[in-house]
Amino acid sequence: MRQVGGMVWLGWLIAGPTAWAGAFSVAYGLHGLGCELGWPALDVGPLSLQRMAIALPSLAAILLCLVLLSRVKATLGPEAGLPRLGLWIGLIATLYTMAPVLVATSC
Amino acid sequence: MKCAALAAVPLVLSGCTGPLSTLSPSGPIAQDIAWLWWALLAGAALLALMVFVLVALGFGRPREVAEGRWVFGMGVWFSLAVLTLTLAGALWIGERMLPHGPALEVHAHARQWSWSFTHPGTTGRTETEGVLHIPAGRPVDVLLTSSDVIHSFWVPQLGGKMDAIPGRQNRLRIEAARPGTYEGLCAEFCGLEHASMRFEVIAHDPAAWPPLLTMEGSRP
Amino acid sequence: MSPPDVTAIPANPPRRALPLHRELDRVWRNGPGLWGQVTSVSHTTLGLRFMATAFVFFGIGGLLAMLIRAQLATPQSAFLDTALYNQIFTMHGSIMMFLFAIPMLEGLAMYLLPKMLGTRDLAFPRLSALGYWCYLLGGTILIAALLAGVAPADGWFMYTPLSGKTYSPGINADVWLLGVTFVEISALAAAIELMVSILRLRAPGMKLTQMPLFAWYILGTAAMMLAGFPPLILGSVLLEMERAFGWPFFDPERGGDPLLWQHLFWLFGHPEVYIIFLPAAGVLSTVIPVLCRTTIVGYGAIVAAILGMVFLSFGLWVHHMFTVGIPHLALAFFSAASMLVAVPTAVQIFAWIGTMWRGRPELKLPMLYILGFFFTFVMGGLTGVMLAVVPFNWQAHDTAFVTAHLHYVLIGGFVFPMLAGVTWWMPLMSGRRRIKGLGEAAFWLILIGFHGTFFLMHLTGLMGMPRRIPTYADNPEWMWLNLSSSFFGFVMTIGFALFTIDLILQAGFGKRSVRDPWQAPSLDWAMALPPPNYNFASLPGVELQKEGAGGAMLKLARGEGLLPGAPRGRREILVTSVGTARLEHVALLPFNTALPLVLALAICAFVLLMLAGFYALAPVALIPVTGLIWAWARRAVASVDAAPVEVAPGLLLPVHPEGGTTLTQSGLRCLLFADGTFFASLLFGLAFLSLVSPGPPLPAWGADQKVLLSALAGLSLLVTGGLGARWALGRVESGRPAGAALFGWVIVNLVALVALAALAAGLPDPTRHAGDAVRAALVAYVGLHITIAVLFSAFALDLARRGELAHGRAGALRNGWLWQGYTLAAAALATAALWAQEAAL
Repeated sequence: MRQVGGMVWLGWLIAGPTAWAGAFSVAYGLHGLGCELGWPALDVGPLSLQRMAIALPSLAAILLCLVLLSRVKATLGPEAGLPRLGLWIGLIATLYTMAPVLVATSC
Repeated sequence: MKCAALAAVPLVLSGCTGPLSTLSPSGPIAQDIAWLWWALLAGAALLALMVFVLVALGFGRPREVAEGRWVFGMGVWFSLAVLTLTLAGALWIGERMLPHGPALEVHAHARQWSWSFTHPGTTGRTETEGVLHIPAGRPVDVLLTSSDVIHSFWVPQLGGKMDAIPGRQNRLRIEAARPGTYEGLCAEFCGLEHASMRFEVIAHDPAAWPPLLTMEGSRP
Repeated sequence: MSPPDVTAIPANPPRRALPLHRELDRVWRNGPGLWGQVTSVSHTTLGLRFMATAFVFFGIGGLLAMLIRAQLATPQSAFLDTALYNQIFTMHGSIMMFLFAIPMLEGLAMYLLPKMLGTRDLAFPRLSALGYWCYLLGGTILIAALLAGVAPADGWFMYTPLSGKTYSPGINADVWLLGVTFVEISALAAAIELMVSILRLRAPGMKLTQMPLFAWYILGTAAMMLAGFPPLILGSVLLEMERAFGWPFFDPERGGDPLLWQHLFWLFGHPEVYIIFLPAAGVLSTVIPVLCRTTIVGYGAIVAAILGMVFLSFGLWVHHMFTVGIPHLALAFFSAASMLVAVPTAVQIFAWIGTMWRGRPELKLPMLYILGFFFTFVMGGLTGVMLAVVPFNWQAHDTAFVTAHLHYVLIGGFVFPMLAGVTWWMPLMSGRRRIKGLGEAAFWLILIGFHGTFFLMHLTGLMGMPRRIPTYADNPEWMWLNLSSSFFGFVMTIGFALFTIDLILQAGFGKRSVRDPWQAPSLDWAMALPPPNYNFASLPGVELQKEGAGGAMLKLARGEGLLPGAPRGRREILVTSVGTARLEHVALLPFNTALPLVLALAICAFVLLMLAGFYALAPVALIPVTGLIWAWARRAVASVDAAPVEVAPGLLLPVHPEGGTTLTQSGLRCLLFADGTFFASLLFGLAFLSLVSPGPPLPAWGADQKVLLSALAGLSLLVTGGLGARWALGRVESGRPAGAALFGWVIVNLVALVALAALAAGLPDPTRHAGDAVRAALVAYVGLHITIAVLFSAFALDLARRGELAHGRAGALRNGWLWQGYTLAAAALATAALWAQEAAL
């Protein structure tokens, strides 16, 4: 096991929720931008450009959480418990807040 | 079925009526929200009771506690399930209430501290002060504007509320099931005479629509 | 030198406790008399004073609530006229939020944390005092305005345009904007020092993952305050600029948007609820296990729940804006986030109930308040979930239902736990036992009074009664509900009065309490009652932390822990590493001083000049503020090298961290984090006004190449300045003179300031359009930061001139370099944002 510094450990601890916060802010920003630019009317495959744009940052956040989850034990050893919970919070929160995006009326 | 349920709680309801009561709805939108409220209340009462019983049982003899079951089982998964159910119901009803499909459009313009409305009349579009005329049995979209500060248009018996914001135009859908007079008010604090910023909505029989508006049709 | 192993530190030899106490007391105690109180920087004194002052404001806010209830008891009361009524409900909300809840939790945290973490004071004692004086002076301004009849009257969330100059022409709104912002200095100060203290001052070996849960809660609270208050402060600054100088940020006719205020306000306002709830939950997580004679269920899950709350609560500010006409999709994900934030709350509730199941709860007075919390807060939480349901919110929003809900959450989730905490820690604070009976009576009066007031108020709201109306002549159906709320409101007031009497009696006449009366495991009880200013005669190492309060108390008092006594006549504490609390160095804390009071008075002069509308004169008041901050920093500088200190037999620790991070640097990083949030909120404002706001389009600026060139010149000057600082740091660390490099740094920063001024002179009139105003605000922000960078560089130059910059003592230079870097980043982002704004036209 490698010894990691306190700040690094804190970084791991907040990584999951930070990923959620980033995705949430970007999605909200893109939503406003998309409504302004008329994205809901543009179709990209099965979804409108609007829904795509809002869903993409969330997918990125979920992916990031999954990658970090797969490495947290190897990096932090016995101190991995709390950061792992943090990553799960990020993962579930992103899934949960983004789920309504697929159904609700956009603008 | 609605009647049966209503009959089951007559006592509660009789105390809750009034010209501004959300619990005596007079249109499908307000009705939906009233049902939603009763459902939420029932669920909340059950959950609160459950927690109170659990707290009371805590005063028994000390016992072994499975930590995971308490914090993850109850704390995370149980609450997440309840919340998801609530959210799904909320989204579904919310989508139903949105202004989808055609509706009659009327304008409501707010200022400190009165309302004026523009809607069809026998002589074309007519402006009235303090009284909004709508047809009963038809969805109506109220387009909301304000010329000074933020106000909020609310007719509790016909639907939710929506803010009238200077520089913007908002859209709120309301519907009255039956002809009649309904009370409305400004719900957003807007200064000195906020409390007196009331108005009326008169829902007309569809046969008599558009109405013949005389001076008595508008508030002095 | 490798860091010493904290688990194998030898104990100091035991000494007699009394001489040790005298030695420490001489160094740490407050001065005599009133002057001693004024100059005190002790966390114990200031924590108590914060709480006592907050309690006084709670009383004033409560009186206002009684006036409101008296007015509403009958439909057409002529008790208060409408203008006064509006001032009263605005002040009730503002006082309870900004002058009671926040300072109360700050006071409790300041008082307890050093004791729980096993140290002698907070990281920045003078900052605690400054925060207190800002709070007291700002609060006094608000109360004075109320007495003079010019209190704010636009509701505690001050919605624009109602709070703008056109519709609130008096100084009422300015009192709110300036007064509250002044008070918020104390919130930011407390947040910074609590955070640094938790991360750097824990007793050696007390890992983050093992520290008392209360510290985790306060860590979360402090982080939220650093991120949550800047949007409010920004909003207040922008609105004040609109009111004072006509910069139309919120004026829809000139491209502004009233909704920008709502976003900024609720971006603070919602997290605020959790900022208030977290410390209260911290009290519960501390008290419940001890009163149940067991350990807490699910420590890790609770920490994760705190983490979840800290973040998730920033994702639901829009749920106060469900009726402003936001698209359903956006409502949907804010609604989802509002649901989600209930999960961490549920985790904690079930952890507490699980703890009660595992142990044997004792029905002592704090436990009564805890039961009151469960009963009240659970209902408040459930109505909160209801309000997160968008369609229901469209009916309930802005009605008495919301009033009822928020009182269930705030009184249930904050006041009841705080009352539990106060009764719990009263023996520590006063050293006395309480008088039986009175407390129980107060509890039942408060509980019955509260539910009598607010339970039926839900129904009042559902029956259509909106918030903030003084009369309801046309709605007799609301009368009985209101009358009963008013009646029980007075019952609750009697309860609080009885509670206060109980506290006074206990503090004045209670019997002496034994030490550690609750047999608690945490270090806050391992000291004499009431605690001396230095808390511990020696600081607990790993072994003593394990022994609990009862076991460690005597050994600590006899100096068997680390760093015993005050043999060098200095206020010494241990600084440890962030994660595992390895020993790093000894820090010297400042002595009692009146500087914080003088600085607060100088800031107060600025606020009063602004309030009086002397806008030309107000900047002059900033000169003494700058001078006093300079003097403040001067006193923190160590002018000579100090010898290493022996903290335990054979264990020497340096007084200056060699290349490590000083406390001041940690504090500066926290400040820059808050500053960054402020800046991000400003950029959000720019984007919002450019993209979402519906008003007239921004007229072209006509920015030409000259503008672009001066911006690029300014940026490259800042880079050069940064390189100069870095160069100087290298020279200082290797013992070579750095005067020339520092002089260059000062000059380059000054030239950068001139370049910016040239750019600012070419800006279009900020009163023309909100886009112009926000552009000017960005330039002003960068200008302020370059000005401070000039001061940082000049300060370092001054130190070098005096020969006070040396290897291991170059903290001022490092801090200046950090500031320079932040300024550069902000300037670059601002340039990019302005370019994007221009390109979007």
